[in-house]
Amino acid sequence: MVKRNTIPIAEIVEESATLRTFYFQHDLKASPGQFIMLTDFEQGEKPFSISECEAGRFGVTIKKLGKFTSNLWEKKAGNLLSFRGAYGSSFSLQGKRCLLIGGGYATPPLYFLSKELMRKGANITLVNGARTKEDLVFCSRFEELELMYKKITDAGCFGRAGTSVDIARELLTENEYDIVYVSGPELMMKAMRDLLAEYPGLEYEFLFERYMKCAIGICGNCTIDPLGIRLCVEGPVLARDQVEQLTEFGEYHRNAAGTKEYFK
Amino acid sequence: MKGIISISTEFLGKKTKSPLVLPAGIMGMTWSGMKFVVENGCGIITSKSLTLELRTGHPGPVIAEFEGGMLNCMGLCNPGIIDGLQEINDFKVLMPEVPVIASVFATKAEDFEELARHVNDSEADFIELNLSCPNVMDEFGMPLAGSIDMVKDITSRVKAISKLPVITKLSPNVTGLDGIALAAQNAGADALCMINTLGPGMLIDIDMVKPVLSNRTGGLSGACVKPIALRAVYEAYSRVKIPIIGTGGVESGSDAVEMLMSGAALVGVGSAVYQGGIGIFEKINQGIRDYMAKYKYNSIDQIPRLEKLDGEA
Repeated sequence: MVKRNTIPIAEIVEESATLRTFYFQHDLKASPGQFIMLTDFEQGEKPFSISECEAGRFGVTIKKLGKFTSNLWEKKAGNLLSFRGAYGSSFSLQGKRCLLIGGGYATPPLYFLSKELMRKGANITLVNGARTKEDLVFCSRFEELELMYKKITDAGCFGRAGTSVDIARELLTENEYDIVYVSGPELMMKAMRDLLAEYPGLEYEFLFERYMKCAIGICGNCTIDPLGIRLCVEGPVLARDQVEQLTEFGEYHRNAAGTKEYFK
Repeated sequence: MKGIISISTEFLGKKTKSPLVLPAGIMGMTWSGMKFVVENGCGIITSKSLTLELRTGHPGPVIAEFEGGMLNCMGLCNPGIIDGLQEINDFKVLMPEVPVIASVFATKAEDFEELARHVNDSEADFIELNLSCPNVMDEFGMPLAGSIDMVKDITSRVKAISKLPVITKLSPNVTGLDGIALAAQNAGADALCMINTLGPGMLIDIDMVKPVLSNRTGGLSGACVKPIALRAVYEAYSRVKIPIIGTGGVESGSDAVEMLMSGAALVGVGSAVYQGGIGIFEKINQGIRDYMAKYKYNSIDQIPRLEKLDGEA
C-alpha cells in the first residue's frame, strides 16, 4: 500500500512566469525519473516528475497549462496539497561518462538525476534545449553544478539556433559516452532515438509521458504499443531495448477515454 | 508427475490455457495491454466496459487505498464501442486463440441491444452485460442489477439478438442475489460474472477534511471482498446451472482454488494486479498447479466443488 500524504507546501520557487517548483518537507523514497500523483482535491489529480529530492525534502516543477495548474497557482506556502507515490521506474544511474539531453519543460527531472549521478562520481555533460530563452528552464541550477553544461534555443538566444538534438549529434561524434539519458517532448525524443540508432552499442534511457489515471497499473490508460507495458509501472523510464520496439512512440498516444490522438 | 497437471480448461466451448480472467475495467483498454496480460499468464480477457459514446471517466483521485483493499471510481472511461471493439479486433489478430469478452455498459435495454449489434460484428467471443457498476450512480441512478425485472429484460433482449454467448455481470450490493442470478439464467444468460465491486464505500482525508475520491464514493475491491464474493458465487452456484466467472479479492493460488470450490468455472483477477504486479497471473497459475499436485488432480475439473446448498449436487 502506498500511503497518501496531505501536507503543507514548504516553499514555492518561481522558476519563470509559467513555471514553479513546489517543495514539500517529506522524506520521499524516490529515484530520478519517478513521479508522484498530486491533488488539491478540487481540480483532479495529475502525475508530476520529481525534480529534486534530498535531505528530507522534495520538489516537483510544474508548468502552468490548464485548470489544474491554474488552481495550483493560487496556492501559497503553508497551503495543503496531497500526494501519493513515488511511482514508476527510474533511471538506472549507470555509467561514468553520462550524456543527459533535456528538452523544454521536461528537463527538471534531469536535475534530480544529475545530483544522484554526481553522488556516484559520474562525469556529466548536460544539454538543455528549448524554443526560446524563456522556455529554457533550470539554467542557473545546472550552472551551479559541477558538470559540462550546454544550452541552446530554436530562436538562437545564445548565438546559435538549434535544438538539443543538434548538440547531442556533435557530442556523440566527438566523445565517448557510457550512456545517454533523455527527457524531452515526444518528437524531440523521437529524433534522439533516430540519432542513437547510429550508435548501436550505446545504452540509453528515455523518460516518457502519457495520460495517467490510476498510477498503480490497473486502469490500462498508459499502456504503450506494441509492448502493452504500463508507463506508470514498467515506465515512465524505458531502456533502449524497449524504446526501440515502440511503434506508437512519436506517432500517437491515448487520451483519458482511451482514444488515440496523433502527434502533429 | 508435474508434467501432466493442466490448468487449461473450456468455457462455453472456447479453450483457455488458464482459468484466470481479466475482469472488465482492469488493463483491458488497449490491444497491447491485453496482449501484455496474456503474455503474463492470464487466460481470458475482458475489455473495458464499452459505452455507445466515449467516456473520459471521473477526474482524479480515482483510487483510494487502505489496508484491506481499495476504492475506485474510474467512471467507466472507455473510447466508445467502435474504437473499443477495434482494440479487441487488433488484439485478436495477434492472439486469435485467446477468448475475449466484450463488456458493455448502458442504462437502458435499447442501448444494450445497440451495443450487442456492434459486438456481433466484432472478433469478440462473448458479450458481458455490465449491469452493476457502482461508480456512476450520481449520473445514472442505482445499478440495473438491483432490479430483477431489469436483469431479466436486458438479458433476454440482448440474448435474442446476440450472435455470441451472453454473460450477465451482477452486483453484490443487493438482497436476494441468488434469485437475481436465477432470473438472469432463466432470461437466457449463458454465464454469470460476479461480483462487481462492493459498496460503494468512502474514505476521508483527515488533513484536508474531504473525501479522498473525487466522486466521493467508489467501488470496493481487493482482499477484503473475497469472503463476500465466495458467498455470492456459492449461493448463485447452488441455484443456477450456467457457469460462473467468480471474481473478487483473489490474490493467490489458494484464493483461486477457494473460488473454484465455491462453484466458479473461471476466476477473475483484478485488483491484485496492483499489489502483486503483472506477475500475479503466473503466480496464481502456479499456486493452482501446486494445489493440484498436492491432491494429485490432473485437470481443473477434478478440483472438488462444495456441495450445493439445499443438498443439490
